[in-house]
Amino acid sequence: MDKILEILREIDDSVDYEKETELIDGHILDSFGVITLVSELEDEFDISIDAVEMVPANFNSAAAIWEMVKRLQEN
Amino acid sequence: MAYHAALYVFVFLPACLVVYQAAPQKHRWKVLLGISWLFFYLISGKLIVYLIGTTLLTHYTGIWLALLKEKESRAKEHADRAEKREIKKKYQKQSREVLAIGVVLLLAVLVYLKYYNFFIENASIILDWTALPLPLEAKQMVLPIGISFYTLQAIGYMADVYWGKIRAEENIFRTALFLSFFPQIMEGPICRYADTAGQLFEGKSLAYENISDGYVRIFWGLFKKKVVADRLSVPVCAVFEHYGDYHGAVIAVAAVAYTIQLYMEFSGCMDIVLGSGKLFGICLPENFRQPFCAKSAAEFWRRWHISLGTWFKTYIFYPVSMSGIVKRWNQFGKKHAGKYVTQLGVSAMALFPVWLCNGLWHGARWSYIFYGMYYFALILMGIAVKPGRDRILKVCHIREDAVYWRIIQTGKTWVIIFTGELFFRANGLKAGLSMFGSMFDGFDVGQFWDGTMLNLGLSRADLVIVAAGCIAVAVVGHFREQGGTVNGRLGKAPTPVRWFAYYALIFAVLIFGAYGDGYQAVDLIYAGF
Amino acid sequence: MKIVKRLILFFLILAILLAGCSAWIHAEAVKLADFIPGRSRPFASIAAERKDGIDVIVLGDSESYTSVSPMQLWKEQGLSSYVCGQPGQKIQETYFMLKTALQSQSPKVVLMETNLMFRDPGPVKNIQSSFAETARYHFPLLRFHNLWKLMFDGKKPGEAVYKGFSIRSSVDPFDSGDYMKETEEVQEMPQAVTFYMEEIMELCRRSGAELFLVSAPSPKNYSYRKHNAIENYAKEKGLTYVDLNLKIKELGITWQKDSYDKGDHLNLYGAQKVTRWLGTYLKQNYELTDHRNDPAYEDWNELSKKYEEAVKKASA
Repeated sequence: MDKILEILREIDDSVDYEKETELIDGHILDSFGVITLVSELEDEFDISIDAVEMVPANFNSAAAIWEMVKRLQEN
Repeated sequence: MAYHAALYVFVFLPACLVVYQAAPQKHRWKVLLGISWLFFYLISGKLIVYLIGTTLLTHYTGIWLALLKEKESRAKEHADRAEKREIKKKYQKQSREVLAIGVVLLLAVLVYLKYYNFFIENASIILDWTALPLPLEAKQMVLPIGISFYTLQAIGYMADVYWGKIRAEENIFRTALFLSFFPQIMEGPICRYADTAGQLFEGKSLAYENISDGYVRIFWGLFKKKVVADRLSVPVCAVFEHYGDYHGAVIAVAAVAYTIQLYMEFSGCMDIVLGSGKLFGICLPENFRQPFCAKSAAEFWRRWHISLGTWFKTYIFYPVSMSGIVKRWNQFGKKHAGKYVTQLGVSAMALFPVWLCNGLWHGARWSYIFYGMYYFALILMGIAVKPGRDRILKVCHIREDAVYWRIIQTGKTWVIIFTGELFFRANGLKAGLSMFGSMFDGFDVGQFWDGTMLNLGLSRADLVIVAAGCIAVAVVGHFREQGGTVNGRLGKAPTPVRWFAYYALIFAVLIFGAYGDGYQAVDLIYAGF
Repeated sequence: MKIVKRLILFFLILAILLAGCSAWIHAEAVKLADFIPGRSRPFASIAAERKDGIDVIVLGDSESYTSVSPMQLWKEQGLSSYVCGQPGQKIQETYFMLKTALQSQSPKVVLMETNLMFRDPGPVKNIQSSFAETARYHFPLLRFHNLWKLMFDGKKPGEAVYKGFSIRSSVDPFDSGDYMKETEEVQEMPQAVTFYMEEIMELCRRSGAELFLVSAPSPKNYSYRKHNAIENYAKEKGLTYVDLNLKIKELGITWQKDSYDKGDHLNLYGAQKVTRWLGTYLKQNYELTDHRNDPAYEDWNELSKKYEEAVKKASA
């Protein structure tokens, strides 16, 4: 989880990621931010994120991202 | 019978409402389908076979994908982890092939109808050099209405089923309604199954609030189209059709006028479309969000023709940026090229197909491809200079949310938009470049008040109305940007105030609409795409 | 129930507002008839004519107002006529034009140019026109709504019009020979036309006017197939029909001199020949009064002088 916060802060350090729950719906992360994030996550956790995962629900908060990563690690 | 026709608003829609309400709830979606097909038939006649063909293809591709999914999960039931992976891989490959067949077939029809002549023209130019004969000839193509819109919607549906975001629809007539729902068939918005299908099949009873909100929105759309857009069409046609006769400020004014015309028309039409949906209690997705408040080209496209942008993002941008090639580049770049270059490369690779498709989607013309590439270059440039720009802002202590900075950014974006629409509207790329050049040739501010602008077909009275219309739209836009809606505010006002506003809107359309003597009826621009 | 009451009230107020604005703007339009541009003008200018002053109402598309000159009918036969033609008039417009004219006039003859009887914009457009014209007739606000522009832009008089006829003297000859080759074939009339023709006949019957169909000479628009269609139709309905395309010699029309635009419309000289023939025909076949010495028509004599001068100037 901390790893995720760290990655997020690297992309944009002006956001309080522990509280924010509308990263996508609130246009805080744009599509470029998302693809940067995805490539970092793939490297960090050794997972493969498909286009099917590209829905706001998976990226709206740090917690949601963590959930997705855990799910993908299990597969 | 287009959406802005009196026949549609005052006769067709009310008749639909009556038939819809008279039907039992569980059959109402069938009524909507019947109306939708009738509507399509009234406009495109026999070409409805294309729509039906697309429906069959989309539906059965969906069913096939669903069957594969079912088989996959059955096969997985007693498998261990390693086997599961194998099974998943196997079915993924099969599903991908099925999806590819569906998408390729759909695109083939679209490409054939829309781009065949473009291909022939350009092929014959190339073959002229090589002196080889071309065995094909250009054909007169008649496009079924809305093909560019419903084809994208169909592809989106198949991809969503493939990804497992939605379950495949089992009843083909429901798929048919999803693809052909009449308010959105001509100009979008391009809907996603998950967003609208449920509402379409629900068969909600008519409600007073829905009908009154719907009709207010429809009249607001008519106001934008009839009062502002159709009026501006006069000077826009004058300049763009005879661009050789004009230079300097007139060209710039025409570019601005066309941008306003296009916005008023397209967003006005969307008001009518969303209003029409609302009558039946169906909320279609918004296609515009005050695009002229944008502070960058990228933001503009998140506010303008949103459903098209979302479609490209979901079905081209993300899949490309998640694809093997891009991931490999990512790995390679991080080791050898540094973060900045890697990211720029990823952006370029993912954005290029998006903007090429965006240009081509509007039609088979070099000027549209140029239009797409124009935004590709601008948005990529925006990404390229962002780190440097951020540093400069920090050094100079410029706050990004300061008013003067926002105004500068918005102004810059306007210039980008106007220039883009100049090329978009021009009759071909050559004309566009020539117009762009002649804008700087003898640019004379005096043209604004020496009467030149009154020789473009609009009188002083027309200009006053255009200005008043723009202000009205800007005020409403301001409220929406603040998060409310004018209609919402009006809803709380006492009845006389509210009714006065409604009457004012109705009479503004009737009296100041650019119809009747001295005006030509203007067809919907986006219905031609 | 409350909602129904509110709805009724809302639409009632709307209807009152519409009707009020319409009445006011119609009155204004009649006053400003000379300044109204485009196809709405005849609606205003026929309403601006003195009550019951017109004995012959002429309807039709551009063929009507390029073929019939009321001031010549006046000078030669003393007939009072008015051309209510519009460019590309649709049958729905023809019907409501007549209806508008009959509000203030009781003509003895309604002369209809037949070219519009074959105009077919298709069923959807026809339904659209039917609704639109009905609405414009009942709410003239919709027809004359652009009048507000006169307040801003000032009044600019349009082309001089003489009871619906305007003088066009330029020549662009037609030179492709005989276009009326006899045949048995019959051109089909659109359903909307036959429907509105019944309505037009009914209007004439009720107001005591006789409907008189005329095909003006126009190589570009007429053929024997159309002739057969109208001939059959007129016989079936007991209407008088004259096809001037079969009387080119009798009229004395020479296409080298009398065509305005390569056989589409007649110019002034062609119109003079057609009008002369029609004047005699009308006088012989209908009971029409010669108003030339009627003091109530003094203004016609004045306009006639102006017309003659304008014709002289144009022909010079």
